[in-house]
Amino acid sequence: MNVQSAATRPFSRRNFLGLTAAAASVPLLAACGGGSATQGGGGGAGGTVKFWDMPWATPAYNDSAKKIAEGFAGANNAKANYQIIQWNNFYQTFSSAIASKTGPAVSTGGGFQAFQFEQQGQIAYADKVIEKLKSNGQFDDFLPGVLDPFKSDKGYVAVPWQLDMRVFWYRKSLFEKANVALPTDWPSLLEAGKALKKLGAFGFATGAGSGNNYGNHSMIMMMVNNGGGVWNKDGELDLLNDRNVEAIEFVRELVSNGIVDPAAVSYTTDNMSAQWKDGKAGFGLFQVNVPQRVGDTSGDLLVADPITGPHGDKATIVFPNNIMMYKNTPSQDASEEFLVYYLGQLKELWKQKLMSALPVFKSITELPEFADDPNNVKIVKDWQPIAKTFAAQGSTLNANLAALDGGQALNQFSQSILTGQAPDAKTALQTFQSGLESVLKK
Amino acid sequence: MSAVLHAHPESGPALGIADTGKTRRVLSEAGMRGRWWRFVLILAITVIVLVPIMVTVVLAFTPGVNSTATGLTFENLANVFNGTLAATWLQNSLVTTLSTVVVSVAVAAPAGYVLSRGRSKAVSGYSLLLFVMQSLPIITSVVPLFILFAGMGLVDNLLGITIIYVGSTMTVATWMMAAYFDSIPISLEEASWIDGCSVFGSFTKVVLRNSLPGILSTAIFAFLLAWNDYLVAIVFLRSNEIFTLPMGVQSFFQQNATDWTSVMALAVVMMLPPIIVFATLNKYFSVGGIGGSLAGR
Amino acid sequence: MSSTTATSGLSRARRGLAPGGSGASPGRKSKLSAQTTRTFFWLLLPSVVLLVLIHGYPLIHAAVQATHDGDLLQTGNFVGGENFASVLSSPAFWKAAQFTLWFTIVGVFGSWLVGLGLALLLRTKIPAGNTFKVLLLLPWVVPIVVSSTAWNWLVATPDSLIPSIFRGLGFGTPLFLADPTLASITVMVFKVWVSFPFMMMMISAALASVDTTVYEAASMDGASKWQQFTQITLPLIARSTYISWILMTIFCVNDFPTIYLLTGGGPVSATTSLVVLAYRTVFQDFATGPGVAIAFLMTMTLVVISVILYRQIRKSSVE
Repeated sequence: MNVQSAATRPFSRRNFLGLTAAAASVPLLAACGGGSATQGGGGGAGGTVKFWDMPWATPAYNDSAKKIAEGFAGANNAKANYQIIQWNNFYQTFSSAIASKTGPAVSTGGGFQAFQFEQQGQIAYADKVIEKLKSNGQFDDFLPGVLDPFKSDKGYVAVPWQLDMRVFWYRKSLFEKANVALPTDWPSLLEAGKALKKLGAFGFATGAGSGNNYGNHSMIMMMVNNGGGVWNKDGELDLLNDRNVEAIEFVRELVSNGIVDPAAVSYTTDNMSAQWKDGKAGFGLFQVNVPQRVGDTSGDLLVADPITGPHGDKATIVFPNNIMMYKNTPSQDASEEFLVYYLGQLKELWKQKLMSALPVFKSITELPEFADDPNNVKIVKDWQPIAKTFAAQGSTLNANLAALDGGQALNQFSQSILTGQAPDAKTALQTFQSGLESVLKK
Repeated sequence: MSAVLHAHPESGPALGIADTGKTRRVLSEAGMRGRWWRFVLILAITVIVLVPIMVTVVLAFTPGVNSTATGLTFENLANVFNGTLAATWLQNSLVTTLSTVVVSVAVAAPAGYVLSRGRSKAVSGYSLLLFVMQSLPIITSVVPLFILFAGMGLVDNLLGITIIYVGSTMTVATWMMAAYFDSIPISLEEASWIDGCSVFGSFTKVVLRNSLPGILSTAIFAFLLAWNDYLVAIVFLRSNEIFTLPMGVQSFFQQNATDWTSVMALAVVMMLPPIIVFATLNKYFSVGGIGGSLAGR
Repeated sequence: MSSTTATSGLSRARRGLAPGGSGASPGRKSKLSAQTTRTFFWLLLPSVVLLVLIHGYPLIHAAVQATHDGDLLQTGNFVGGENFASVLSSPAFWKAAQFTLWFTIVGVFGSWLVGLGLALLLRTKIPAGNTFKVLLLLPWVVPIVVSSTAWNWLVATPDSLIPSIFRGLGFGTPLFLADPTLASITVMVFKVWVSFPFMMMMISAALASVDTTVYEAASMDGASKWQQFTQITLPLIARSTYISWILMTIFCVNDFPTIYLLTGGGPVSATTSLVVLAYRTVFQDFATGPGVAIAFLMTMTLVVISVILYRQIRKSSVE
């Protein structure tokens, strides 16, 4: 590896001169950005593809993924090595590594990271990978619609490998105790919430505390569920449309009726998980594999049916996590070969029941290890087909979605709704829209 | 308020050297009662202050979700040491932190001495510059530093982060040392100059020798900064086997989920070395200070 | 008083008396003074190198970012003061500045008062005093990732320990992190909890260097304990106090994890300080220029505060 060999080299006068020169030419990032790939920061001797992966699940997940990556043996003796990158400050980690040419050749990462680095000219398009997938048959194995959001004018920015779905879960025993029917539309969601409240449980469990995005996702989900969304079909900001206003007014109604926990605004994901485990959460938006996640093996936590909006719309949101390739690689061919290989091995991760997300391949959803769980089957059957990305109502993903997803505008919007601070939906959406406008790149 | 009122040396001087002779007289009954009142007071404060820490410790010894153990157990600790590289992380943390402490003090003490004794414009300008420079938050410095260090092969190794820790503790450490040196009367050095010592000689032989409390405070400051940092480590360290303990803690944070029992177990491991350091060094805070030299004047 | 000795010693040193000798001969004087300067230079050199490397370089780098419209990877185009102008005209900045001010005031003086009280208390004879001294340093020792989680467990939900106690006492169920005012208070209390051991240690070290015979003399002169405290103890630890205030001001203003891990800056930016705003602007909104501009403005304010307090220190050492 480049970094390590450099580290073991004695600290030379030349290094020192290099440092002085670097300090003298301060805007050196520009110089770093456009350099050639021959330096091999992304790889190293013998065509080793550096693959960076995130802690997507328990340490056992990373062990398996590592095994898969290290099992790669490509043409010209190409190999791969595996590196875990912690979630905390990951964008900083990737950026500084890429800027210093010590970054990966292939990586997973944040949901919209590929589009951000594409905008900065660091991404190698995956069109050739898609060609290979077409010829080996895997292309036809993709679940419907999962690949489309990655196709830009210039090519495929990344290839999806798992779907982080947002679906409604419910605790069956609470609904039986409250003697109320499962919600099928908004009025029945409100009714169920009121009934659950009498039992001290919440009918719209969520959270928007430090590092918790479920509250944000619940807001967008309700907009999309009403045929609205942050963007219009042309990908322009369109927060003030009537469907959004209607959806947010409805959420405000849930809040004012005490159907949302008044402390939810400060809940971390751990606080939320505890609510689900302790039977305080009766109904709410969450991820795949909630029982495993919160440690509830009673079989009482189940995936609900999608809910129909007042205009007959049915939709939820999904974050298609993806694998991207960088321009800085020892060999683009090796990167592509590795990516095709890795996608072909993904089924191992679901076979070992390591994932808390939906696979992107139909064949994996049919594996007994996956299909054993009726909750999984229900998500694939009822929720995946109606899932839209954060780009809804637009169709392709882009770098601006990163600023939407983790950014301050959405977070403050959700918090103002969850605390009831916002005077009305329209004002809140207006603030949201102008906050977002100020950070979006044109 | 009571703390203030009780701050009377007759109730017991902080200086060990003065704890002889007339102050060690038989305590009056009222004095004894005062002692026990203060004991109860400090006990109550300590218990309240430590509630969040007790939460941590209890969880570290509570069986995990998939465990069959009952009551309190060392299982989590054992799991952390057997299942991860915690022992290596501990070693890395110790090496990094101790190097940081030694080098920081070695850099800060001489600089602090100059700041304390120098009265030229350049010196006071520099002492201000220390502040100006270090007040930029570390989160905006990490990316440029990484790029700079990557060029020198100093990323993903302990030397790189040690240099950064020394740099970031050095400014404050220099000020802490300067503050302490200010409390040492210059008459002590003057005496040594008359004995033929050089400026450097009197600094090492007279000033440093009388600065143990100051050095220890500074060392502890540097120790804790390096020991607990994760903002730098998370960008600079990649390989599992060169993680420091805070990075080890980070590695238990997964996408949307955290292995809290392991986090807390490792947190307890992280607390131990500083506690040992404090407990061992504690007595030096109150004795051997400049008071000793003053008393003999 | 030691300070007068120090001052006269310093003025003598400045005149070239140090080291040794009477300084009678002019030739000897300049030689000695040159030797002092040279020694001072070598003593300072390592810190200068580190300062330039670890602080100077990123500072210049940040200056470049703050005046360009680029991102973390590309410098972008020079935009002059545009980022500063947009930051200064945004209400979010001023709201964060206001919170930072309160957070810092409470953080500095809160931790100082608690630290001072405990340092004075621990200075007296108390059974197991040393054990308490060590135990009370723990809040500073525990990694902030861990202590923020412990605090979260104690206050976050209506069923957490502290809200339950309040409910039991008939105060309703306060939502310590969900109510904007309470969340601000909680974050500040958390900060004081984390910081008071540092103050306690600084003050303890300063007190250790105080000559106790001074108190006996004052006692014989009939000074009350309160008079002894205000007229002897406080002046003697004044310099340490000013320095610890400056340091704590910097720690508070620059403190990212304490706030971010407990509240993330919410609810609705109620606990967003400038450094949290800068972080979120750079790494979550991906607006590098404006975010770094915020950090810069923060730094400049800190420098002004530091200079004011620094003057105070100089004064206190001359008095």
